Amino acid sequence: MPIAEQDPRPLVLRGVGKSYGARTALQPVDLEIRRGEIFALLGPNGAGKSTLIHCISGISTQTVGAISVFGYDTVREFRATRRLVGLVPQEINFDPFFTPFECLMIQMGLMGVEPDPTWADELLARMSLTSHRNSYTRTLSGGMKRRLLIAKALVHKPRLLFLDEPTAGVDVELRRDLWQQVELLRDQGTTVILTTHYLEEAERLADRVGVINKGRLLLVETKADLMRQFDARQVRITTGTPLPEVLPATLDAALTRQSPCLLSAPWQGAERMAELLSSVSASFQVQDVSIQRTSLEDIFVDLIREADRTGA
Amino acid sequence: MTSDVTGVNRRAMRTLFHKEIQRFAKVWLQTVISPLVTTSLYFLVFGVALGARVGTMSFTGSDGAGHEVPYGAFVVPGLMMLSMISNSFLNTSSSLFQSKINGTLVDLLTAPLGTPEILTAYLSAAVFRGIAVGLLVWIVAGLFTGFALAHPLWAIFFSVAVTTTFAGVGLLAALWAEKFDHLSIFPNFIVQPLTFLGGVFYSVTDLPPLWETISRCNPVLYTVSGLRYGILGVSEIPVMTSAVAVGAAMLIVLIICTIALNRGYGMRR
Repeated sequence: MPIAEQDPRPLVLRGVGKSYGARTALQPVDLEIRRGEIFALLGPNGAGKSTLIHCISGISTQTVGAISVFGYDTVREFRATRRLVGLVPQEINFDPFFTPFECLMIQMGLMGVEPDPTWADELLARMSLTSHRNSYTRTLSGGMKRRLLIAKALVHKPRLLFLDEPTAGVDVELRRDLWQQVELLRDQGTTVILTTHYLEEAERLADRVGVINKGRLLLVETKADLMRQFDARQVRITTGTPLPEVLPATLDAALTRQSPCLLSAPWQGAERMAELLSSVSASFQVQDVSIQRTSLEDIFVDLIREADRTGA
Repeated sequence: MTSDVTGVNRRAMRTLFHKEIQRFAKVWLQTVISPLVTTSLYFLVFGVALGARVGTMSFTGSDGAGHEVPYGAFVVPGLMMLSMISNSFLNTSSSLFQSKINGTLVDLLTAPLGTPEILTAYLSAAVFRGIAVGLLVWIVAGLFTGFALAHPLWAIFFSVAVTTTFAGVGLLAALWAEKFDHLSIFPNFIVQPLTFLGGVFYSVTDLPPLWETISRCNPVLYTVSGLRYGILGVSEIPVMTSAVAVGAAMLIVLIICTIALNRGYGMRR
């Protein structure tokens, strides 16, 4: 029997913090996850991403604060919250005693749902593991073991799915494959929270981004807002002939000489760009024009650097 | 609906129990036959070969009267206890410790399983294995000494209570241990010496007074004596004394296990 939702919000954190003795792993966090979104948690190693996920999924318990999953408290009503949550752990684990098919059947039982061989086979097929259905788990490659972990996390059809660095050490093709799977899950109504080092991953998948550093949640923004806020696109014009050290006065004042053949100016719209171009082409041969867009990576690096600088 | 949210998750508990049974049943040569062979060798050397020269074992029973039992039959309950104790201990300790090491403990921590489910499933599977091996030892020995079972209910009580206790000790050992070496402390340095000195091969009432007193502090003595009463119908220690000692030990271990699991000791980071 599926668990009835007491609250439409998949996840609400109120002042959730975790410390180990004197060491604070996570400073109190307030966070609400929206239904059906993909939320990416970004941060360097040891920032507290996994700690946060562990507190929600049951691997650890928070020192302060309360976590609610669809209205159920993760400490008092853990049997309900764990039925609603799926976790793909960061570290690959496998039970050498069982085959992938057996693993999934056992996992269904452990999650308290009726073991369903058809569903187990469908999950194996989705994760391209059908040909290894009855192999010993230890003979699977690293990528296959990771896909098995994802299948295991889905056996009970969780409404909130955590992916803790799902594509660490995974090749490009499989990574794209996994992204498609995640998008498919989101389309089917699953709320997804993922942690990642690959900013490309967050940029491609996430609706909202949270940045965490040294146990502190620095910001939570929609990806679009974040990119807009930190938008600092640059126009870059490459000339065919070297530029003089001192630029002629005929050139637009916004342009700066980056290198002997490269000029740059901040992006100020398409009209301004046409003006810039005509001012350059009046005296020099224009070889190439490009617009460099800020990547989430640039934003992220800036944010972390700023946070470290201010001692946050 | 409320049972789904707060009540014991029976399906999850059953699954965990079956998984633990499968885990040792899949490697039955190592988990069932190997201990059976070891214990049978003890029995053949001490019980049959040595027993042929010793003849009968005379000892003072709890009723104050002298008893004579063929030596071969005398050692059977102790050897059964030895195998039941070590196999129930090994089942919980190795299973839980391995999942700690290979990371599959995550499956347990993120599943809708509470302390009652985890404790019941792990201990039942270990009790099952311990008693399976104990029963096989009883059958092998029975071929030589006859199938004695004087008080079946007492035999069952002591078998279940002792395997439950040591399954619990195994669980606590696995929670506490950080490396395989830690785990081997229990069987090699605690359980085996206590068992061998717990009146498996001799009667403690025939020891010099000082040694008899020291032996009476050995908890394993009460398990051996209790099972001896269940199987042979006679024992050195009154059966009620053994029952209280064994029952109290089980209760204490179960309470400590419950507290440890509730706190997530050795499991939750």
